[in-house]
Amino acid sequence: MARIGPVKAEPYPWPYDGDVPVDRTALLCIDWQTDFCGPGGYVDSMGYDISLTRAGLPATAALLAHVRALGMLVVHTREGHDPALTDLPANKRWRSRQIGAEIGAAGPCGRILVRGEPGWEIVPEVAPVAGEVVVDKPGKGAFYATNLDLVLRTHGITHLILTGITTDVCVHTTMREANDRGYECLILSDCTGATDAGNHAAALHMVTMQGGVFGCVAASTDVIAATIH
Amino acid sequence: MATVPARPAPFPFDPDTTALLVIDMQRDFLEPGGFGETLGNDVGQLRRVIAPTAALLAGCRAAGLRIIHTREGHLPDLSDCPPAKLLRGAPDLRIGDPGPNGRILVRGEYGHDIVDELAPLPGEPVVDKPGKGAFYATELAELLTGVRSLVVAGVTTEVCVHTTVREANDRGFECLVLADCVGSYFPDFQRVGLEMIAAQGGIFGWVATSTEFLAALPARHLEEIS
Repeated sequence: MARIGPVKAEPYPWPYDGDVPVDRTALLCIDWQTDFCGPGGYVDSMGYDISLTRAGLPATAALLAHVRALGMLVVHTREGHDPALTDLPANKRWRSRQIGAEIGAAGPCGRILVRGEPGWEIVPEVAPVAGEVVVDKPGKGAFYATNLDLVLRTHGITHLILTGITTDVCVHTTMREANDRGYECLILSDCTGATDAGNHAAALHMVTMQGGVFGCVAASTDVIAATIH
Repeated sequence: MATVPARPAPFPFDPDTTALLVIDMQRDFLEPGGFGETLGNDVGQLRRVIAPTAALLAGCRAAGLRIIHTREGHLPDLSDCPPAKLLRGAPDLRIGDPGPNGRILVRGEYGHDIVDELAPLPGEPVVDKPGKGAFYATELAELLTGVRSLVVAGVTTEVCVHTTVREANDRGFECLVLADCVGSYFPDFQRVGLEMIAAQGGIFGWVATSTEFLAALPARHLEEIS
């Protein structure tokens, strides 16, 4: 059984307990959907630069190949709503309308953030393979109103490595939820991205304060280098 | 309905379905000589929040708003403290260690309680939470039955306030964060924390000041309260 750690990370070598076998570790790939990083998707429609949200794709694809070879659990998440929008809070819908890209409205990639639509699918570079878990979530956090915690505990997972978009919104919310639930978390600076470069940097910095208030920050190459076969 | 001028847009609310949430205004985080200061933090950055929050509490009480306080802390045997939280890093003081105001972040200790200036009144629920977010492993969601809007004060902006607002937003609550009633040990995080709330059309909620909120709050007639 391969192990991970200690990984060169900020603010302490990750994990706190020295190293962890891969069968207690999961790689989370958060919301790598066309709506957040593809041409014509939700983020593109709002007028943001998708090169910022796409920046982490090559490193994430390389890390996925590495952890798949190790047999590590991989969990993908997708933000989206059912076609009838019964799980879409009124304020979330209102805000998306204000900004000119209403959730549920028709866009270049199908109905925005609706399950089953082309824009809601995960982009091919980091698409799930057979046997990997995909969690559909209605919010920013991947734990609220989903089976993620049950899936992780059923697999005996205690440690999480986080990739995905966007750093300050869905990745951060999910990392905060995971940290409160006792998971030891590592967020990867080169496998994340935000619609604003300053918010990406600030979100990573926040993790490292006060001894690692939400966990640690590292690069994917540090995780690969800290793999003990 | 009342409306508060706010970022990124005016915040409409009905006082009957609005609650004030005051997060973690505890002695260990705010008082000189407490846990926060022993970690090397400047508690002055947080103490500036006390006076406007006291005025906010007075105004909300007069208007008959629901008020809920939270405290971060653990059971004396630390059975609700995840190992990853307890053992992480190499701080001088760990959770449960004896500190200047009793055992650090342990329920029932002097330092764990809310500062005198903002002490809860009888009838105001106090939610004890083991994590940063006030929804996880607490009764907060049940206490908010019938509530649609949350007005948020407390510390620290980028940690417990942000985590709780993110949880609330995913649950469909409309959150108004009051910039002068939330505080961070770090001025940069105070600024960027507030910016993140209102970014992308208000992705987590709205931001205003307590003065703006209090000005919009209709005073309730005494007979209506009773």
